[in-house]
Amino acid sequence: MNARIFSARWRATSGPWALLCTVVAFVYVFSLGPILITTAVSFNQTNRSFFPPRGFSLRWWERALTPEWLDPLLFSLKLGTFTALLSTLLALPLAFALYRYRFRGREALVALTLGPLMLPTLVTGVGLLQLFQYVGWREHIGFAALLVGHVVICMPFAVRTVSISLQTLPPNLELAAASLGATPVRTLRHIVFPLIKSGLVAGAVFAFIHSFTDVNLSIFLARPGEVPITVKILGFLEFGFAPTLAAVSVITLLLPLILVAIVERVSGLGDFIYGDRRG
Amino acid sequence: MRSGVPAHWLLIALPATVLLAFFVLPNALLLSASFLKSEAQQLTAEPTLDNYRFLFTRPLYLEVFLRTFAVGIAVGLIDIVLGFPLAYFLVRSRSRFKGLLIALSLAPLLASVVVRTYGWYIILNRFGFANDVLLNLGVIGERIPFMPSTGAIIIGLAHALLPYAVLTIMGSLNGVNPNLESAAMSLGANRTRTFFHVVMPLCLPGIAGGFILVFSIAISAYATPAILGGPATQVAATAIYNFIIQLLDWSLGAALAVILIVCSLLLLYAAARLGARRAAL
Repeated sequence: MNARIFSARWRATSGPWALLCTVVAFVYVFSLGPILITTAVSFNQTNRSFFPPRGFSLRWWERALTPEWLDPLLFSLKLGTFTALLSTLLALPLAFALYRYRFRGREALVALTLGPLMLPTLVTGVGLLQLFQYVGWREHIGFAALLVGHVVICMPFAVRTVSISLQTLPPNLELAAASLGATPVRTLRHIVFPLIKSGLVAGAVFAFIHSFTDVNLSIFLARPGEVPITVKILGFLEFGFAPTLAAVSVITLLLPLILVAIVERVSGLGDFIYGDRRG
Repeated sequence: MRSGVPAHWLLIALPATVLLAFFVLPNALLLSASFLKSEAQQLTAEPTLDNYRFLFTRPLYLEVFLRTFAVGIAVGLIDIVLGFPLAYFLVRSRSRFKGLLIALSLAPLLASVVVRTYGWYIILNRFGFANDVLLNLGVIGERIPFMPSTGAIIIGLAHALLPYAVLTIMGSLNGVNPNLESAAMSLGANRTRTFFHVVMPLCLPGIAGGFILVFSIAISAYATPAILGGPATQVAATAIYNFIIQLLDWSLGAALAVILIVCSLLLLYAAARLGARRAAL
């Protein structure tokens, strides 16, 4: 009601609002323009990244769908999926302990949990590379090292979404279930889990996207044959700029977009973006 | 509970072990390497402060620090200036398409920085879109290379990090009651005054938090400076990569990484003091 009066006042003197809309339109062009340009470039007929594209062809898309690019893409998908599963599995008990219990060292544990979010990812990547070399796990640099690194940097996102969904869970529910004779495992399975499922799903989605789009950590831990798509694109950018790259870029953009669209339909993600469901 | 071990220890044992082994330990190793001497591309056991002395005295690396911070500040400011109107619009808009508009403003986060920076490569390179447009308009006589340059790095990073500024500012604007603005206007303040004396002060923590968040990500970004910059426009992240991967000088790479960590932590401490809460733990 008040909001309506407010916006009516804005519009009554439409000057500033119109100005704001113009500025906002400019910001959208700035924000989405380069992505749209990349998409257009991938349909070039020439072998240079012209914009506006000259002619129309799908040959760069054909080339983007050869093993040279599909392999790193599948590698990234595999890495992202394992990362999402593992980081959510690890985040669940952690978030539960932090939310439900007050104990000595809790603050330190919160700092430890948020640490990977606070420190530059690049630095963690260098540190992990050094660790793996130091303890003689050189042969594990590649998928194993990448998985460990991605789980560590993605866990804070999952802890956060699970914590948010735990806030909406009334603590009495578990007591009620227990007083009705349910075992802790049964309570967890039939009461807690269904109620925090959306938090788990959101955490897994954010973890997947963070893993799928990461460069800063991956550049240090990849090895030939075990290269995530982002690192592959980055390496290629130094040599050539054929429109193939544009097509590959669009594919890597579409995959998370489709994932988010599906999950948003099924279980909702928007609630977890601001950080407070009730806010 | 029934046994001697408290329940919360059982819950946190595994995740805490993973974080200690693969987050704390690597960073501790890096910290120790930064105080060790490197010889013939191998770390020795000899403690030294020379790594830091070297980085802080060579003009080349002083320039790298300076550029890194200048880029961080410029990117932070640009993103606040662009992000604030967008956040304000998204929070106050009553459009039917509000949900879609919010989704569109955050959608770039779904693309890797590499992908988003590639778009700027297409625009800024010597034979790119920007040159075509300016030539056709007659603004420039001949093609000029906009990249590699620090300016290109700033534009690319400002573009990549804009959603973070928008999210942070939206978070704090959501807490500003629109009635306050109506009240100020009904008491005779005009729109400009209302904006600068009511809205701005109330969401200053969000603006400062957004700036610091963007700044701290920008100073440790690798991909954008690697694509839009060159050997003459090194920043901290690209310099670390060169030390570790190309020169195999772990000591100097580690020292530079530690400097980056200290800067990030100081910034985040400042952000926490300003009340910009990042996590709902």
